[in-house]
Amino acid sequence: MAWKRDDSPTPSHPEPAPVAPPRPVPTAAGPAPVTSEPPRRVERATIGPSIFIKGDLSGEEDLVIEGRVEGKVDLKQNNVTVGKNGKVKADVFGRVVTIEGEVDGNVIAREQAILRQSGAIRGNITAPRVVLEDGSRFKGSIDMEPPREAAASPAVVRPVESREPVRQPELPREPVRPEPAGVKASV
Amino acid sequence: MWFSSARSASVRKEPVGVPTLVEPRVHRSLALAALFDEIRGRKVTVLDLGSAVGSNVDFLSQYGCKLYIEDLYAALSSRFSSGEGDDLADPEFFAEFLSLPEDTRFDVILAWDLFNYLRRKELASFGELLRRYTQPGALAFVLMSYHKQIPAQPYRFKIQDEGTLVYDRRTAAERPSPRFVPYEVTGLLKGFQVGRSFLLQHGIQEYLLVRE
Repeated sequence: MAWKRDDSPTPSHPEPAPVAPPRPVPTAAGPAPVTSEPPRRVERATIGPSIFIKGDLSGEEDLVIEGRVEGKVDLKQNNVTVGKNGKVKADVFGRVVTIEGEVDGNVIAREQAILRQSGAIRGNITAPRVVLEDGSRFKGSIDMEPPREAAASPAVVRPVESREPVRQPELPREPVRPEPAGVKASV
Repeated sequence: MWFSSARSASVRKEPVGVPTLVEPRVHRSLALAALFDEIRGRKVTVLDLGSAVGSNVDFLSQYGCKLYIEDLYAALSSRFSSGEGDDLADPEFFAEFLSLPEDTRFDVILAWDLFNYLRRKELASFGELLRRYTQPGALAFVLMSYHKQIPAQPYRFKIQDEGTLVYDRRTAAERPSPRFVPYEVTGLLKGFQVGRSFLLQHGIQEYLLVRE
């Protein structure tokens, strides 16, 4: 199989630890029952460093690319991360697209595109919000016109100093998945 | 790879072994203020010839512009490190560097201090290319140094507000300055004339050039 499921947080930029709900204050009537939500399951596929995929990728879960991909990465509803070892030679579509490695192609993000300090893009970025970390390498254009579906919210581009850690925003998940989703490679 | 050499190399034999940490300085920029006065309320296409700076992207986002970032110094650096030596960068080099669709037209060019790192013939070649990608009325923001020495690498400029620039010096090493004088600037950048010009106390002449 060309990819493997990875339910653990991304090592280079771990997601923040879940915040425990406020503990109920005991009352004279006795302690309130403690309720705790089950931890959110993060479904994410990883293309490992030794994997090379030539062909288009599509699917319905988040994807981390640490290997090489030559073909369109089309996960418009999900987050795509090109890790430090990752190299993509094609356009990348995603909800939040984070680039830590190299992309030779266009990046189109529905919500946000993040180019980290270690990242390099040669291509155009289209996203309502763009984060360029200082020290990142970019050659191309940034279209700051928000896409039609995001036109209600104004375009915001946030700068990030290279030393400042950036956390990928928590995004609402689809509540129900009719069947186990996966990332498909159509070669 | 396309970016690999640009980081490590420097253009034209930068001295090595010198400290690289120099505190950024903040200076007022009258030409920048004039530039933003000109483009306010317009959707413009901007060519930034400096390196990608997040805060500049952030600042320019409020103008809803389309921004092209083409790091001229990195391209020159990679050319030098690729063994093409200290020869003049020819028109073909610049044409390859700025290989954009023919119908691309920029309203604003942010040249920062990068022209200080071109020799006269190179500046003329590059100016010819810029003329091709602009139409009358386009503006170019250019900083020229009057000091005898300039940093060995261009400053990284960060726009703090419409009239303020942060000069982030990347190296303490220095190199001779070409010290372009005003008539040379317009002589070499044919098709552009000086719209506004300000000589600042810290030895920088700011130009807002206008495409004729």
